[in-house]
Amino acid sequence: MPNASRKIVAVGAIVVLAAGILVFPSLAPNPYILSSGVLVLNYAVLATSWNFVGGFTGYISLGHGALAGLGGYATGLLATKAGMPSFAALALAGLLVAALAVPLGMAALRVRGASFVIVSIALVLILLLVFQSWASFTGGSRGLVVPRPFDLTRPEHHRVFYFLFAGLLGVALLVWWLLDRSRFGLGLKSIREDEDKAEALGTPTFTYKLIVFVVSAGFTALAGGLYALWFGDLDPVFQFSILTGSYVVLMALLGGVRNLFGPVVGALIVGSALEYFKVEYGDTPLHLVATGLLLALVVIFMPDGILPAIGDLFRRFDRTRRSSIREVTAAELRDQRKAAV
Amino acid sequence: MLVLQSIVLGLLLGGLYALLAAGLTLYFGIMRVVMIAHSAFLILAAYLAWWMHDRFGLDPLLSMVVTVPLFFAAGVALQRLLLTRLRPATLTMMSVLLTFAIALGVEGLLGYAFTGTQRRIQLGYGSASLELFGARIAVVKLIAFVLAAVALTSLYVLMKRTRFGWALRATIQHRDAARLLGIDTERVAGYGFGIGLATAAIGGTALSLDTTIYPSLHWHWIGPLMAIIVVGGLGSVPGAAAAAMVLGMAQSLLQIPMGTTWAQTVFYVALFATLAFRPQGFFGGRLAQRF
Amino acid sequence: MSLETHELRKAFGGVTALDGATVSFHEGKVNALIGPNGSGKTTYFNCVTGMIRPDSGRVTYRGRDLTGKAPHRIARAGLGRTFQLCRTFPRMTALENVLAAVPQGGLRSAKAKGDIERAMSWLTRLGIEHLAESEARDMSWGQQKLLELAGVLMAEPETVLLDEPAGGVNPALLDRIGALIRELNAEGRTFVIVEHNMDLVMSISDHIVVFDRGRPIAEGPPSVIRSDERVLGAYLGV
Repeated sequence: MPNASRKIVAVGAIVVLAAGILVFPSLAPNPYILSSGVLVLNYAVLATSWNFVGGFTGYISLGHGALAGLGGYATGLLATKAGMPSFAALALAGLLVAALAVPLGMAALRVRGASFVIVSIALVLILLLVFQSWASFTGGSRGLVVPRPFDLTRPEHHRVFYFLFAGLLGVALLVWWLLDRSRFGLGLKSIREDEDKAEALGTPTFTYKLIVFVVSAGFTALAGGLYALWFGDLDPVFQFSILTGSYVVLMALLGGVRNLFGPVVGALIVGSALEYFKVEYGDTPLHLVATGLLLALVVIFMPDGILPAIGDLFRRFDRTRRSSIREVTAAELRDQRKAAV
Repeated sequence: MLVLQSIVLGLLLGGLYALLAAGLTLYFGIMRVVMIAHSAFLILAAYLAWWMHDRFGLDPLLSMVVTVPLFFAAGVALQRLLLTRLRPATLTMMSVLLTFAIALGVEGLLGYAFTGTQRRIQLGYGSASLELFGARIAVVKLIAFVLAAVALTSLYVLMKRTRFGWALRATIQHRDAARLLGIDTERVAGYGFGIGLATAAIGGTALSLDTTIYPSLHWHWIGPLMAIIVVGGLGSVPGAAAAAMVLGMAQSLLQIPMGTTWAQTVFYVALFATLAFRPQGFFGGRLAQRF
Repeated sequence: MSLETHELRKAFGGVTALDGATVSFHEGKVNALIGPNGSGKTTYFNCVTGMIRPDSGRVTYRGRDLTGKAPHRIARAGLGRTFQLCRTFPRMTALENVLAAVPQGGLRSAKAKGDIERAMSWLTRLGIEHLAESEARDMSWGQQKLLELAGVLMAEPETVLLDEPAGGVNPALLDRIGALIRELNAEGRTFVIVEHNMDLVMSISDHIVVFDRGRPIAEGPPSVIRSDERVLGAYLGV
């Protein structure tokens, strides 16, 4: 596709997506549907925040659910125990979790991939343990009630938070886009491609990874905090559930981690499906099976996600690029060569 | 008195941890795969033992006749049919996701088949116990430990004394060189996975003897096991075994002042401390630095 | 003297890869590091560039101690390197591959005009400018080797370490790489080359260091090395 027409398609897609998101509240037939919309947007923010680490550096975190939970609890506790105004509590919670991400990242990012995933899972498990057991502070399994920031009717409450989430999503997307086109972003992407090589070219890989992890944690915590203010009730079992993290990974991967809008598209698909199945079938263990199956299918057959797959489809119809299609790429050749040694 | 009791219990628990961590270490050594579903298969084996006992009145130990070969085959299939499909460049990350997905699937299917109700095997010898230097030890815990010890010893003998073990170690240490020596590394890797998963079958049977099981129990196991293999130095079986013993003991001893829940945090504290101060692990794993 | 190492030692388990390697390379020259397989050349490279931490010994560059420093600090000190099995960023375009060598500058655009011009001029010089928008993984082996070199040069290193520049390369390309090294050297860059292809080594180097069993056993200009019996002995395994 020529560059110009490609740009038009991209801009058109963005406009349609943005318009769709903004128009939804006025089309939603009832508050329940609207609240589902809020949840889906929450997922979109989480998946986009996750993609700061997952998309740029290729480090996959299964623990972002816990960072969101932490943001939620920090907001709730600051508002109830310290009596802070809701949104000041939210902002401070974002900063606190970002600050906590520094030592976490230092432990998790010093060594390569495997340890990072292990730490991210451990984070969920340990926080669940702590927040359940430390009931005197966190409310434990009885839950923590977070005061609502506005005195509104239910539908109005949902509508306001819908737009707050949309705003946060916009900011997260904007920052991702800024990083994507920056030198810092190029350095991060080179880490994803070949970390040793990036380091040898003079990129301070550890610092880069740490910075982007902190940014990612901050956005995730803000999403979690906003959720707390919206939902008004926190329970460790849901806030520190390994499932949240896996939904987020599934969304980002399904949409495509190399694309600005990949995680959003993934969140729209998976989030809507989750809400639909909850209404139709209620809570069954088959949710887990479906999530697992879908995740496995994406990992095996579509690791680059839906958006690139669609792009490939377009390209296949595009004759001008046919000349560049080769049977074997150089990278594959090298793998074969290595295998033959 | 209480301390002695805790030490013995810690030792027994450490044995089971060591067996399971050995399986995880094996996968990691063979393919650099962090196998999240290991503990899900552990719980699956425990459920199968419970089910056979509940349905046919079979002794849980006999269930291994079925589960061990079954899990071995599943492990080979997992490696040959799924993991080899992933791109080599992103294998470590993607395999985590894939095995994580499998863990979710197993948990969901267990919940669907057996509901979320807590299950426990009622054994004739379930409440029997022995006096050992003044500590009271439940017979079932002892059986579980013996099971783990026998399995771990067999694994050791297999690795050190047999031709297959030699091929497996060669594959782990230097895949290309192993291939040059005429070892069919693909096949060996598959069998290695089978053996790893078979240890989960044995561990699950041992677990079912004295533990109340439910579908999401595997999350309580995978955390400590991950901590153990990192502390042990990813890829080192003796390291993992040593770390398992030390941490199992620590958990057991800390239960006295801290209670069972808080005592579990020792694993995570050890995990973070290891990564922050000595990422290559405390027991000399060679691979950790790069992964 | 530019790059120097003093008593560098490194063992992997029980195998000694470097056994007290004391070497100095000449500023402004094309230096070559040769030796039989397993003589420790690549380990030496990895220790010098910070990819591996030596057990003991010192690495200095222009009098600055670089021992145990992180690879990116060593790269920024002016030492650029290529890898034995050529390494590029497979899913980035050739242009991005080269631009990735100037990551400093935070949020400034990665595709600033000046940088693109500089990157394109390196691609042009290496004869692969027509591939600027192709992803590295779609390029041939030889093209990837040139691309890797372009990336390293983009960082403007004063000293370039090449690990087997001739590995897997056809004769025509080999001549071009040889000529390029001499050209870049004439512009003032120091080279240290690990290479097995003796024709290339003998034709382009000013100074040769021969490794055997983790330490240098001979050094000098090609004419001297050619007739050194110890070198012959090392290669023949005597």
